Amino acid sequence: MILSDRIESMLEKVQKAPRYTGGEMNTSIKAWDEAPLHFVFCFPDTYEVGMSHLGMKILTGLINEQEWSLCERCFMPWVDMIALMKENKVPLFSLESRRPLKDFDIVGFTLMYEMSYSNVLAMLDMGGIPVERRDRGEQDPIVVAGGGCASNPEPISDFIDAFMIGAGEEVMLEVNRVVLERKEKGWSREACLKKLAQLEGVYVPSLYDAEYNQDGTLKDFRPNCPEAPARVRKRFVDNLDKAFFPSKVAVPYTEVVFDRITLEIMRGCTRGCRFCQAGMLYRPVRERSLETLVRQAETLVDATGYEEISLSSLSSGDYSCLPELIRELMRRMKDRRVSISLPSLRIDSVLKESLEETQQVKKSSLTFAPEAGTQRLRDVINKGVTEEDLIEKARDAFQGGWSSIKLYFMDGLPTETTEDLDGIADLARKVVAEYFKVPKGDRAKGLRVTVSCSTFVPKPHTPFQWAAQDTIPVINEKQEHLREVLKIKGVTFNWHAPHLSYLEACFSRGDRRIGRVLKRAWERGCMLDGWNDQFKFDVWMAAFDDCGLDPAFYANRVRRKEELLPWDFLDCGITKEFLWREKEKSDRAEVTRDCRQGCNGCGIQRFAGLCAYADPKRRNAPSPSLLPYVPEGDEC
Amino acid sequence: MRMLGVFQKSERVRHIGHLDIQRAVQRGLRRSGLPVAYSNGFNPHILVTFASALSTGACGRREIMDVKMAEEVSAEVFLNRMNLAMPPEMQLSEARAVDDRHPALMASLRAGMYEMILRDKDQAQKLISSIEPMMGREEIRVPRKTKSGIREVDMKPLIFSLRGEESTLFATLMLTERESCKPAMILDGLKKEAGIPEEEEIRTLIVRTQLLGEDLEGNLKPLETL
Repeated sequence: MILSDRIESMLEKVQKAPRYTGGEMNTSIKAWDEAPLHFVFCFPDTYEVGMSHLGMKILTGLINEQEWSLCERCFMPWVDMIALMKENKVPLFSLESRRPLKDFDIVGFTLMYEMSYSNVLAMLDMGGIPVERRDRGEQDPIVVAGGGCASNPEPISDFIDAFMIGAGEEVMLEVNRVVLERKEKGWSREACLKKLAQLEGVYVPSLYDAEYNQDGTLKDFRPNCPEAPARVRKRFVDNLDKAFFPSKVAVPYTEVVFDRITLEIMRGCTRGCRFCQAGMLYRPVRERSLETLVRQAETLVDATGYEEISLSSLSSGDYSCLPELIRELMRRMKDRRVSISLPSLRIDSVLKESLEETQQVKKSSLTFAPEAGTQRLRDVINKGVTEEDLIEKARDAFQGGWSSIKLYFMDGLPTETTEDLDGIADLARKVVAEYFKVPKGDRAKGLRVTVSCSTFVPKPHTPFQWAAQDTIPVINEKQEHLREVLKIKGVTFNWHAPHLSYLEACFSRGDRRIGRVLKRAWERGCMLDGWNDQFKFDVWMAAFDDCGLDPAFYANRVRRKEELLPWDFLDCGITKEFLWREKEKSDRAEVTRDCRQGCNGCGIQRFAGLCAYADPKRRNAPSPSLLPYVPEGDEC
Repeated sequence: MRMLGVFQKSERVRHIGHLDIQRAVQRGLRRSGLPVAYSNGFNPHILVTFASALSTGACGRREIMDVKMAEEVSAEVFLNRMNLAMPPEMQLSEARAVDDRHPALMASLRAGMYEMILRDKDQAQKLISSIEPMMGREEIRVPRKTKSGIREVDMKPLIFSLRGEESTLFATLMLTERESCKPAMILDGLKKEAGIPEEEEIRTLIVRTQLLGEDLEGNLKPLETL
């Protein structure tokens, strides 16, 4: 192994050395010289967080499966390790072969949340790669990024050579092939990037220029060369049953955040909650078949030895044969002592039967997400859930032997008033009352209702992309009010200070200029911002000052309909017209039906055969190919 | 029946703590598909025990797991299936089937054999030349960390043998449920004897090479052979 002795001496001193040592089950990979293309998958957060991430498992598995490429892993080190690395002049290295990041041909980051951006900069720098893309030379790796936050790549576009928009498992190998060709044919960096820009779903920021108006809004955004398309369309996986599935996933030695099998039962969601970026971006809904899921579950249990399978999707209760799936999984897993858990339960799912079944194996707390305290506000955000739904499900749960319920809400939603906040307390009180309605002998002991409230962050590609976030003083006031009204016996209230959400709001809808703030904050020592004890809000504010940019411009400003938004050049499936239509309905507290009840014309219907619920009449030019591109602007 | 499996904890995974090693073995057993016995109760777990916990930071060449089987299997099948199911860092070298009445390993354990590989040549020389004077003392008092704090013990009766060669110390040290001597205590004692300041770090790779039990004649023998 490269650098080995120096690394060993650091590992003897560091806390949690297993974060850096690798060697887990199912991670033995090929030797360096066995494959011509060397990829390092970087997760811009700690090992414990990164190893819980399904996308990483899919992509590392996919790349390693190709005989022409190998994929190693790298995570953001903790501060103690960073200090030792500096002191010993050891660059950031991959877990497997312990090579510095700069030795790889391609360095890939996954962008899961905005507040990990400073870690991307830190990892590049520690790995021996110039942080800004314009400073990289012919010898430096190509730095790529993908993941949910790539749906607005601009804030981090000074640091990334190419973004992959949409499903990584579709475009990853195409990108790798181009980079391999560069290596074999000796193409220049620029030539390689121009080739990459021609792949569908790839955005190369150096090939685009942005111009701004006097007021700071975007004036123009266009490619500066013929190779780059004016609009970049995201990649879709059309059939989940055929999508790459990693059968040998790494099993960490130490406990990680999600230390279990994650079985992705479907992608997308038909509900249309207006605050939910994932629900808008990952359209259309695509289910894995029951047969595929049962087979995958067995393969994963064989390969990992995990004791628990968690069914994952945006709305697992909507999976069309959920009771059958759970019954079949339980039948097969019972003798193997594997338990099945269902996260992100939606309270209007037909789940009573399934609930009773999961209970046989393991009883944990149930989570419901009404998101808002009153029906009016739930209509504004199109959370199609009623109070009766919630109360009925709580009753079922308490009667079924649960005593612990978690309720998730958001504060700072558009149009929110004190009445809506009081509604949160009302709901909590009603849930508590349901518990006491169950006769004492029949209910489980130890009632625990946990109300968690997070601060709303308006996201790109949602109907709230034009909305202002509440200012920090307003959020503070609202949280103070909630603390008062939620002093209820049996209820615990969890909240977070709004500062992180405020920055998240700046970066989620930021433009290219805000990249300077990111760089400045990192230079001033910001990193690991997602960790409370590392987050330095004042330093971030100072960085905004240094760059002459106002965070309120990004977080607290209402955008006009005509404004050119920094992410408008991306076609993520849904159209801007649909989003505006939804925004107007939201202003009127008008709901939009679930796609399963009829097509709402979100834009996905433009792609023939992609959405099972699309109305073909709404498609203006069906084409024989699976994914014809039809310019938007037909409907509204 | 029970199966005794001799396995290694390699240098790469030496920083993994005992609880995590236990879990890795449990998951390995689950992956192997071998007919292992589970505990009853609400959260059933595989009935596997370990002869001795190995410290975080130390490697083990011949650690022992003791697995209760639900059905008879041959040692060969156990070994092969487990080696397919365990990562390269934790492979098994031997397996032996024993009767359910075979004494518990923990109860039979008497001593551990250790190699302490010293990274610094100068320090190694100083420490090795301090072995004789230290062992010549009536008693060797060193601090020993316990749950209730640090107390001083005389480790002399806990040392079965101690010698040095080039940059490595070889020690056989008492290791029972009641009393044990840790390699770190040996390093502390030698450090004091050699007059090396307390704050000076001694970089060492500690390898436990063998666990020992006592046969009927009172001789120390590899634990897995008893």
